[in-house]
Amino acid sequence: MVDECHRTNHKLRAVAKVETKTSLAKGDLRDVLREMLLIRRFEEKVEERFRAGELPGFLHVAIGQEACAVGVCRALEDGDIIASTHRAHGHTLAKGTHPNELMAELYGKTEGCSHGYGGSMHLYDVERGNMGANAVIGGGLPHITGAALAFQMRGEPRVALAFFGDGATNIGTFHESLNLAQLWKVPAVFVLEDNKWAESTPESQHSPIRDLSERAKAFGMKALKADGQDVEAVYKTARQALDHARSGKGPVFVHLDCVRLHGHYIGDPQVYRDKDEARKLAETRDPITLLRGKLELSDEEFEELDVEVTEIVEASVEFAKNGTDPAPEDALKNIYA
Amino acid sequence: MESGTIVRWLKSEGEPVAKGEPLYELDTDKVTQEVEAEASGVLLKIAVAEGEVEVGRTIAFIGKEGETVAVEAPAPQPKGPDTETVSDTVPEPKRVSEPTTNGRIKASPLARRLARERGIDLASLRGSGPEGRIVAQDVESPAPAAARPASPVASGEVQSQPLSNIRRTIARRLTEAWTVPAFMLTVSADMTRANELVARRRELEPDVRVTVTDLLTRVCAQALVRHPGMNVQYTEDALLSFPNANVGIAVAAPQGLVVPVVHNAEQLSLSQIAQARGDLVGRARDAKLRAEDLEGGTFTISNLGMFEVDQFVAVLNRPQASILAVGATRDQVVPVDGDLHVLPMMTMTLTCDHRAVDGATGAEFLKTIKTFLEDPGLAL
Amino acid sequence: MPELSYREAVRDALATAMRQDDGVFIMGEDIAEMGGSMGVTSGMLEEFGRERVRNTPISEMALAGAAIGAALQGMRPVAEIMYEDFMTLAAEQVVNQAAKLRYMSGGQLTVPVVFRTQGGAGWSPGAQHAQQLEAWFVHIPGLKVVFASTPEDVRGLLWSAIYDDNPVVFFEHRTLYGIKGDVPEKIEPIPIGKARVHRRGEDVTVIATGRLVHESLAAAEEAEKQGVSVEVVDPRTLQPLDEETLVASVKKTNRAVVAHEAVTRMGFGAEVASVLQYQAFDWLDAPIERVGAKFSPLPFAPVMEQFVVPHMEDVLEAIMRTVGRGN
Repeated sequence: MVDECHRTNHKLRAVAKVETKTSLAKGDLRDVLREMLLIRRFEEKVEERFRAGELPGFLHVAIGQEACAVGVCRALEDGDIIASTHRAHGHTLAKGTHPNELMAELYGKTEGCSHGYGGSMHLYDVERGNMGANAVIGGGLPHITGAALAFQMRGEPRVALAFFGDGATNIGTFHESLNLAQLWKVPAVFVLEDNKWAESTPESQHSPIRDLSERAKAFGMKALKADGQDVEAVYKTARQALDHARSGKGPVFVHLDCVRLHGHYIGDPQVYRDKDEARKLAETRDPITLLRGKLELSDEEFEELDVEVTEIVEASVEFAKNGTDPAPEDALKNIYA
Repeated sequence: MESGTIVRWLKSEGEPVAKGEPLYELDTDKVTQEVEAEASGVLLKIAVAEGEVEVGRTIAFIGKEGETVAVEAPAPQPKGPDTETVSDTVPEPKRVSEPTTNGRIKASPLARRLARERGIDLASLRGSGPEGRIVAQDVESPAPAAARPASPVASGEVQSQPLSNIRRTIARRLTEAWTVPAFMLTVSADMTRANELVARRRELEPDVRVTVTDLLTRVCAQALVRHPGMNVQYTEDALLSFPNANVGIAVAAPQGLVVPVVHNAEQLSLSQIAQARGDLVGRARDAKLRAEDLEGGTFTISNLGMFEVDQFVAVLNRPQASILAVGATRDQVVPVDGDLHVLPMMTMTLTCDHRAVDGATGAEFLKTIKTFLEDPGLAL
Repeated sequence: MPELSYREAVRDALATAMRQDDGVFIMGEDIAEMGGSMGVTSGMLEEFGRERVRNTPISEMALAGAAIGAALQGMRPVAEIMYEDFMTLAAEQVVNQAAKLRYMSGGQLTVPVVFRTQGGAGWSPGAQHAQQLEAWFVHIPGLKVVFASTPEDVRGLLWSAIYDDNPVVFFEHRTLYGIKGDVPEKIEPIPIGKARVHRRGEDVTVIATGRLVHESLAAAEEAEKQGVSVEVVDPRTLQPLDEETLVASVKKTNRAVVAHEAVTRMGFGAEVASVLQYQAFDWLDAPIERVGAKFSPLPFAPVMEQFVVPHMEDVLEAIMRTVGRGN
């Protein structure tokens, strides 16, 4: 059941590309919803398991930002690569990593996608084109510029895509990477998931400008905008950006206006956030609710999807719990090639 | 001992002293030794800088910084020189830089290893390295000790070396011993089973390294218990009888002959004796014996077997009443029940103070020793 | 044997690799027309073109990071960080990313990138343009660190660094760029992790890196005149360190001096001394001496700079102290 569901998503994705490239086919929207719901339930489960004391370290869930992850990743072609942030579970699942492998990594098992070496902020799935989450804000951005450079030098029709948040637009690597990417016109796409919060600092307190896509323009880079909670809009915009970059016209900045529905990390009481504002956003800007509304799904139909994905998520927890702990001495492996 | 000679002070007035730290060097009947401080504090005053001092005289004061010292008042202190001691310090008082810091010898790790491997006592070396550090070169080609002014030697001339205190003491005591009316008894023992026992013990307990001397010590101790008439000492007024067999073992230490004592040897197992003996001999060689190691002996064993001596007569170790001289074990042809056997025979000679011990007592004692050696199970 | 300068030797390794391998390319500040601030890449733009000889803006993080990104995609970029001091800017990408990507991914990623940089005092560059920071990078698991001191070594080792699948921080020394030395006709790769004994001796082992290798050889000549026989060893690779060769030498001579231009305190030499102390404890006839820069930023005025930075005389004095003839 688990594998089937996962395979179906990918099959449909391939079909979608063939039939309707620039926007999501209506027939696919139900699967898109399932995919977003899978991420949602996965993240909720992660919160639950963390609070139960089962998950070591600290974690950042992407609840509320599912449309960004799914919309963008569905627009990618085979061979395209992504680099993610510390809030990486959504991107990782959307890029094709099986929930079992992701959950196993969070539990620190060898079956995890990083074999227990990375954890939540260092999720890698190289086979599926995921160059990794990064615990350093903006840490992966120059790698995307470099990867795109390699594709360009080798004449490959591949695009390198970076996810990052509004907080990252202030750090050195952001400016240096975008500047260099634009200078060399490499096939890169820089996707800003602007949820208006850098940890506990609202955008108004970390940036002197209100429209962060101005930053891209400062480098002479093409910038596109979309409502990050509308998965169809996200897909369409991402597709546009990817086509542009892939054609050799240079990198593109994609500014997605999105919402972080929960705290920065699991357990964050968000003392810094207006509770009413947060509640209102949950009511009006939940991407899953919005798509569900668009599809006019009945409660039973939604319930069916929910049960499906919940089973997958629960199976992943079982899988992870039954996984293999690395041997302590394994800590000394994989340091050098 | 009635007096000793202070050679030099290792601490100066005003210096802090810790309990157990070497404080001064003392020449006694036997040897020059370092005497440790019995208390911690500051060395307030040195009353006797050097020279002969009678037992009981206050020679220095240790107290708190700033305390005043009344010369007659008995302040808490350094021991008076009233103990018999055997220890040795390097006989080079005129050396410019001392390799000792608080009693610790300065030597490079390499020098230490070389000295260890060659059985050389670091304390006997002069250091040519910085701050008197002993370096490898000093171990490999040690500078000749310039302890006593030796007259320059041209070939063919007679050398004259002034007597050290040790030498003087040995001379005096042996002369005295020679005046005691003594008799000697000789016996040979078949060491077959004794050797087997020692060999087997070594196999079972390789760390303990039991020797024939250890077995002899055990045997003699048991024999002394069975012949209390041997465990005695003659004094002008009375014959002293001792409850325990404190067996001394003669050791040729670098500084001279010393006899450390295995106390209460009759209560110790063979392994315990071996360990005690090992410790004492090791420390004797390192010149680290303490007063109590040399006191209280009631009997002495002197073993020259390792030098291939067949048999010899030892001089009494006064005030003890007897001493056993042990020779080498040699294969000899011995008639046993009419047949000729080749047996490992060891010859021992017992010297006894005739004023304290009669011939028969001595003979019975010696017979017991022989019996125990030939059948060690009896003594273990 | 042909003769090359240290600078030419570096260029030779880069160019030869680029000729035979499309995946190798170089990037850095001012490396194109100008040929690099030290003239190392001079002529390479003409031969290889702008695609593969890439000038970058002054963006050490993007420079280092893009090199990492390209390496992750299977290329073998050699990034030049103009001055060793600017490794501090690139450090986030070198330390947090390059060194750890393989590990954090559980072995999925390979990072075959080389970060070339140079440092060296003696010409009044001032405190921010002459640091020797190898101690920082040898401390990071996941990085390899190389510091060659002769034309032959720098060429053979840069070649090996380019073809090593791990991130390598490759230090060059500014004052050595002009020195000439014999090199084999064809590039002979020198294994990373092997020391080189420059001079055999019996009494003291001097372990030296970079410029101090040459100072130590000069000191050894002087010591010889005073009857002290000195062995000079260059580890060449700082991480991984060829402990075997170093320890064997000290066990032979029983005395050691470790010399580098970097500040002595908490420097690379401290680790070497510790390794020697531990493995050759019973062979040491003297405390291990360390020669390095005094604990201060580098002064500008020549007389002060001269005072801070170590020279042949310092090595010689250290040698003589180990044989008990020093002050």
